[in-house]
Amino acid sequence: MNAHWRYRPEGGSYFAQWLIRTIALYCGRPVARAVLYPVTLYFFLRRRHERQASRAFLHSVLGGPISCAQIFRHMHSFAAVTLDRVYMLARGARGFELEVEGLETLHQTVEQGRGVILVGSHHGSFEALRMLSNRYDKATLRVVLNKQQTPAMTALLEALAPDIGARVIDGSQDPASVVLALGEAVRQGHMVALLADRGRPDESMLQVPFLGRPAAFPMGPWMLAATLRVPVVLCFGLYLGGNRYKLMFESFADPKGLSRQGRMKAVHGYVRDYASRLEKMARTYPYNWFNFYDFWHVPANCKVDADSSGHDLRDGAGVCG
Amino acid sequence: MSTQTEAEHALAELIVESLNLEDVQAGDLDPEAPLFGGDLGLDSIDALEIALAVSKSYGFQLRSDNPDNKQIFASLRALSGHIEQRRAEA
Repeated sequence: MNAHWRYRPEGGSYFAQWLIRTIALYCGRPVARAVLYPVTLYFFLRRRHERQASRAFLHSVLGGPISCAQIFRHMHSFAAVTLDRVYMLARGARGFELEVEGLETLHQTVEQGRGVILVGSHHGSFEALRMLSNRYDKATLRVVLNKQQTPAMTALLEALAPDIGARVIDGSQDPASVVLALGEAVRQGHMVALLADRGRPDESMLQVPFLGRPAAFPMGPWMLAATLRVPVVLCFGLYLGGNRYKLMFESFADPKGLSRQGRMKAVHGYVRDYASRLEKMARTYPYNWFNFYDFWHVPANCKVDADSSGHDLRDGAGVCG
Repeated sequence: MSTQTEAEHALAELIVESLNLEDVQAGDLDPEAPLFGGDLGLDSIDALEIALAVSKSYGFQLRSDNPDNKQIFASLRALSGHIEQRRAEA
């Protein structure tokens, strides 16, 4: 697999991943971090849409006019985290200063033996979870990755962290196999990591307030938790600058004993509460927000949550897709 | 619409009951229509629900590593056929 990357310069993402990996691992973090400045400048100048998205997001959190320096800082923070992902996958927490909060909460949930759904987002570095593995080996971590849509990321994982690669649930299989695999992982008491801030185009979404405007959040992770009646723990991997990261675990929901009739209402509540929690984190750590697109864009077929808008909804509505 | 066999009807009842499908009669399910993404409006989470109900009622697991899953979950007829085959083997 390594050999063909260099013969396929047109495979942009492969080449970029290979380049980042090579610079990162062979030149060391100080050199790679120095390279980040021209790289960030390049993206800052070339990526108008990302620049606009950054400005809009920072404005909604910080208010007032947003300077180019702030946008540059935002993009640089993303570049730094993207680079560090290579180190985290290759050698875990080595070289990083990692602060962990709420590990006891996670542990207590794992101890119940019912599996755990770890909900993360594109706020901060979810890969920071990888740094936990040498501190916490009580439960196996499972991630879902679409091996067809993200071949470069899959290759990176398999090259740098084969133990994780083997436990990846391939999201490009038929949907029934994916959910069955998730169910099996939970029954084995594993921790299943899911991202709950971006939905796939075909996924059911719910619009709830986020930073003052309605935004669409996926319902899938919560439907899964409610159907399997698995406890949910939130995970935030925050980048604090330099080589410092902070992992936070928070007990969020336990659908134990939830009836099927009460499910949709509960799921709406989870989405709303999660959006509100994510909003607080985004306000506290704005430069960790890594959704560089119009997050408030409404998918054509999306409806609004009843409790937050006052709109009348039929049973099971409030959903797009 | 082709007629449901006895086994298909029993499975249709299980699906309607476990998914709490209002306004749908088990007997109205077209055995050859797609279960997911079609008129029934089922999604992948419902596949999980069906799998849980099948394991409860028929005593075996529908597993994620079955390479034929796409085919098995294609229609009521396909799923019922798979279940009958598994029961015959047991």
